[in-house]
Amino acid sequence: MQAVNWGFPVIGYLFLAGIGAGALTVSSSVLLRGGGGGFAGGHFRLARYGALMAPVLLIVGTSLIVFELGTFEAAVAHGEWTKLFRWINLFLTINLSPMSIGSWALALCILASLAYAYTFVRRDARPGDQQDALRRGLAWIGVPLGIAVGVYTGVLLGAMPARPLWNTPMLALLFLLSALSTGVAAILLAKAIFERHGAGRGAAAAEGHGSAAKSGGGYLLAASDLLLIGFEILAIFLFIMFAHLTIGAPAEAMKVLLPGGQLAGMFWFGVVAIGLVLPVLVELKYVVPTLLHRKAYAIPRGVEIGVAALILVGGFMLRYVVVIAGQITGPTGI
Amino acid sequence: MESQASDISRRDLIRKGGAGAAALAVAAAVPAAAEAAMPRQVHYGMVIDTRKCIGCHACTVACKSENDVPLGAHRSWVEYVEKGEFPDVRRSFLPRLCNQCSEPQCVSVCPTGATYKRKEDGIVVVDADVCIGCKYCLQACPYDARFINPRTGTADKCDFCLHRVSKGLVPSCVNTCQGGARIFGDLNDPDSEVAKMVRTHAVTVLRQAMGTKPNVYYIDADHTDERDAERTGQYVRIDTFRPNAERR
Repeated sequence: MQAVNWGFPVIGYLFLAGIGAGALTVSSSVLLRGGGGGFAGGHFRLARYGALMAPVLLIVGTSLIVFELGTFEAAVAHGEWTKLFRWINLFLTINLSPMSIGSWALALCILASLAYAYTFVRRDARPGDQQDALRRGLAWIGVPLGIAVGVYTGVLLGAMPARPLWNTPMLALLFLLSALSTGVAAILLAKAIFERHGAGRGAAAAEGHGSAAKSGGGYLLAASDLLLIGFEILAIFLFIMFAHLTIGAPAEAMKVLLPGGQLAGMFWFGVVAIGLVLPVLVELKYVVPTLLHRKAYAIPRGVEIGVAALILVGGFMLRYVVVIAGQITGPTGI
Repeated sequence: MESQASDISRRDLIRKGGAGAAALAVAAAVPAAAEAAMPRQVHYGMVIDTRKCIGCHACTVACKSENDVPLGAHRSWVEYVEKGEFPDVRRSFLPRLCNQCSEPQCVSVCPTGATYKRKEDGIVVVDADVCIGCKYCLQACPYDARFINPRTGTADKCDFCLHRVSKGLVPSCVNTCQGGARIFGDLNDPDSEVAKMVRTHAVTVLRQAMGTKPNVYYIDADHTDERDAERTGQYVRIDTFRPNAERR
């Protein structure tokens, strides 16, 4: 067995910061696309959920990785308290290391998400209020920064020939798509939980193809989530296929995920079945009638919560499986 | 010094003859002329002649005591490669250490610049006062040459005993080697033993496909691994004598 140097703190960070970055991107783009009031404020509420959760998730996730730092462990073990903050060194320099660029992107993303969330804090925040210009300006910054944080983690893992399972551009795309889809799921979950029951149901019943936003955007979220997960399935297919078709280290490494491999059960059941296929099937059942037959979009609240939870579990499993699988495999030969 | 270098290239030219060798010599002469202006750079490297290694682990122990390497970690170690069935067998030893690569991946991934390749002698070092212990270099090294030192919490690895080498001594593992299997020196100095060994032997490096351009060369190293065992159906046993029993 090989040493797994990056464990739960890193997996948790990738998962939480992924949701945070995804929620920020989705919230910002929803606000810019339709949150200005044209959709009766429904999209604005979605943007608000995303905006308020993004900095919390980003900060909690980022705090987790500090626990993985060797200097942090040494500081605690030997009482060298100055070493607790050794990570400051990340911000005393910048170089072409994906971790260096990523740290700066992450720091900027956290600051931007905090400012963006501030514009939503007031309970009476609404389209066109006095924060509107600032809010929209920050949303323009939030979209690229959220994507940067979603994508850099995959670049970080993918930059090393010594880690053949990670060493593919597909990983960055896969992590970005997972960040966006879990971001959507988190907003969907918040909407399903916090939206006043009567309002949510009444509006949902009235929602049709042309007036999708009236439900509070449930249709918009489910439909875009469907698209994102569709792309994610494609990305996973390409991720596996290309490694499998390559001769040598990548093909050897991919064996841990293929049937019979050490992590195959967790991957196919946890990531693919629970996190991707099942949510897609459920969402299809509710989205297709609206999409193709222009029927009113109606989804029970329990189903909405269930689907969002499945996607979030799948997102965690993806990070877990990828982070562990990459570390228990290595280059072939000596 | 300068005339010596040109002497050698002339001798090479005469000995080898032929157009290819002439082209090589011209190519070699051009940088030599350019170097005349500035002092020649030292480029430390090592040749490990596995034919002379008896697997005694003296280098492992010398390294541990010289560098005060914590329990469970190694800057240098020896692997045993055993294959075949009696009487058609072979057992050989593969001393390992940081390859001080010319294209070090650990350096290119380091976010703080704590690990870098010294311009003056090509040794890859870690600045323990800057390193934050993020372990990115541990992931990136194809040779598993790095570890987190539990005392400092920072990345640690072989540095060719920089504290000795800078005072004109050889690294501790070289100093202690019973069979004289480890040869250390300046690869840029054509008269050094290490450069001569590289020129006159069929040397290999570990995991060449990684593109890291290692500066530790092996003579007669057995590159057999478990996958070869699967493929050929022969008995192969590899002992790393490390906590990570599996090679990475």
